[in-house]
Amino acid sequence: MSLRDSFVNALQAVGLEDKSLVVLVGDISHSRFQSFAKGCPRRYYNVGICENTILSMASGLSALGFNPVVHSIAPFLIERSFEQIKLDFGYQKLGVSIITVGSAFDYADLGCTHHCYDDFALIKAIPGSQMIYPVSYVEFDKLFKQTYNNGNLTVFRISHHGHNFEFDPEDIELGKGVLVKEGKDLTIIATGSHLKTAMDSIDELEKLGISPEIIYIHTIKPFDAELVNKSLKKTKKCLVIEEHSMYGGVFDDVLRVTKDLKNIKYTSINIGDIFIREYGTYEQHCKRLGFSVEGIIKKVIEELNGRNKFT
Amino acid sequence: MVYNNKLRKEIAWMIRNGKEGHIPSAYSIVDMVAYLYKEVLNFDPKNSKWDGRDYFILSKGHGCAALYAVLKKYGVINQKDIEEKTSEYSILGGHPDRCKVPGVEASTGSLGHGIGMALGIALGLKIMSKSNKVICLIGDGESNEGTIWESALVAANHKLGNLCVIVDDNGSADLVLPVSNPQEKWKAFGWNAISINGHDMNEFKAALESIEFKHNSSPNVIIATTKKGKGVDFMEKDFNYWHGKIPTGEELQNIYDALDKE
Repeated sequence: MSLRDSFVNALQAVGLEDKSLVVLVGDISHSRFQSFAKGCPRRYYNVGICENTILSMASGLSALGFNPVVHSIAPFLIERSFEQIKLDFGYQKLGVSIITVGSAFDYADLGCTHHCYDDFALIKAIPGSQMIYPVSYVEFDKLFKQTYNNGNLTVFRISHHGHNFEFDPEDIELGKGVLVKEGKDLTIIATGSHLKTAMDSIDELEKLGISPEIIYIHTIKPFDAELVNKSLKKTKKCLVIEEHSMYGGVFDDVLRVTKDLKNIKYTSINIGDIFIREYGTYEQHCKRLGFSVEGIIKKVIEELNGRNKFT
Repeated sequence: MVYNNKLRKEIAWMIRNGKEGHIPSAYSIVDMVAYLYKEVLNFDPKNSKWDGRDYFILSKGHGCAALYAVLKKYGVINQKDIEEKTSEYSILGGHPDRCKVPGVEASTGSLGHGIGMALGIALGLKIMSKSNKVICLIGDGESNEGTIWESALVAANHKLGNLCVIVDDNGSADLVLPVSNPQEKWKAFGWNAISINGHDMNEFKAALESIEFKHNSSPNVIIATTKKGKGVDFMEKDFNYWHGKIPTGEELQNIYDALDKE
């Protein structure tokens, strides 16, 4: 079951225990929330297709001491309602959990109106915000429980695609990356479902004589500068893979937090500075944009001088 | 002498002193704000977070000088706060900040936000079955914002009868994008809508007394026809010129004189 289908179970488990949890949705996932609605009476509202108002309402609930959750498709909350997020929560110092679906280009065949790949940049720029990108149930469950009542503005970007990796809940902590595989020649910083892409690239990289270290980042902000610095000091080469615009994503954070390191080579696989105007499937977009094992190998050889340096 | 003469003078003084503010927008609402705090809202001046309080949300944040003057009248904020308004480290700015100012429920200024927050407060009180009132003051210009009408739909759908929106219909919108027949519009959205003269406190009192603030009933709106710059004849006549104008020392005296003569 994808996180898209299962995250409601985590919310319900919290909601049954904590009566401060109130969920507002913008006419999405309504059927998925029926069990929550039954188990948590008067604390689930399918408000309608009015994201700005839903967010402002959530700020009112927060001001009263509730812990609101707002859920809809990413661009309609993050981009359309950015000012509500910035002012009603950030500026007013009120907490909320905004849970978006339709990560980056998940809705591949629906086109640009349903894409959102600037959310890291936008949300990170709001003081006091937290940006989380969980892909598995364990990650969401752990990170939601760690944040939903901490009084902060927290955005969860939920992907429709998994990474087939089962984490021990003990390994998941807000603001901490996960060292998934140790290596010595190259650090791959993977986000979202591309932890799988990174793991799948190990054999090919090793054929090139490259021992990759793989770090998985589920918390985009606060960013785990310590883990990334430690790894880059060792490997001196870094590849970031993220379904985000080339502006303001994890790659920018990596560059910022490692600016004092010397002689590091960097590259990144990202969406660049484009609107994705093609349709088709998520997998087709990944292949075309380089979110693939082939894409990783190409970047390593062409931009990190892999073949020359490592072989 | 005009009603709330002292509050109006204080508003003009703090705006001249702080070199920022909107006198006409504060004068159009000050009578209603003063009445609400005197006769309607339950609040504790010593404990602005008292959970038994009624909630007043000034969605048209640029009229905040009126709220500041009234909060000072009841000792929620003090004279020093007024004197320091809009200075670097003051708590009082050109728009109200809930994180700094006791008694301010919402940090408004960007129009169309406060009403949604008021809906959330009203919904939260309904969830808790609490009887606190929620009163939200918006502007007619603010009513150009789409969120006003989103909120109108949502509040009616959820029967947030503990909510009363007051529309300060001071003619701002008429200059650009008029919101004609507001009472009919709000009624069409499912609200209990009452029209009054927003400077006639007998009418305001009657309207408020007719509202039950009861959960699971239609939300309520009072369309208050008001005048920008009310009480100062030359400002009422040329309110657009005075919208964000800071009076000179001479003009401040002229405002005082006009308030005293009316």
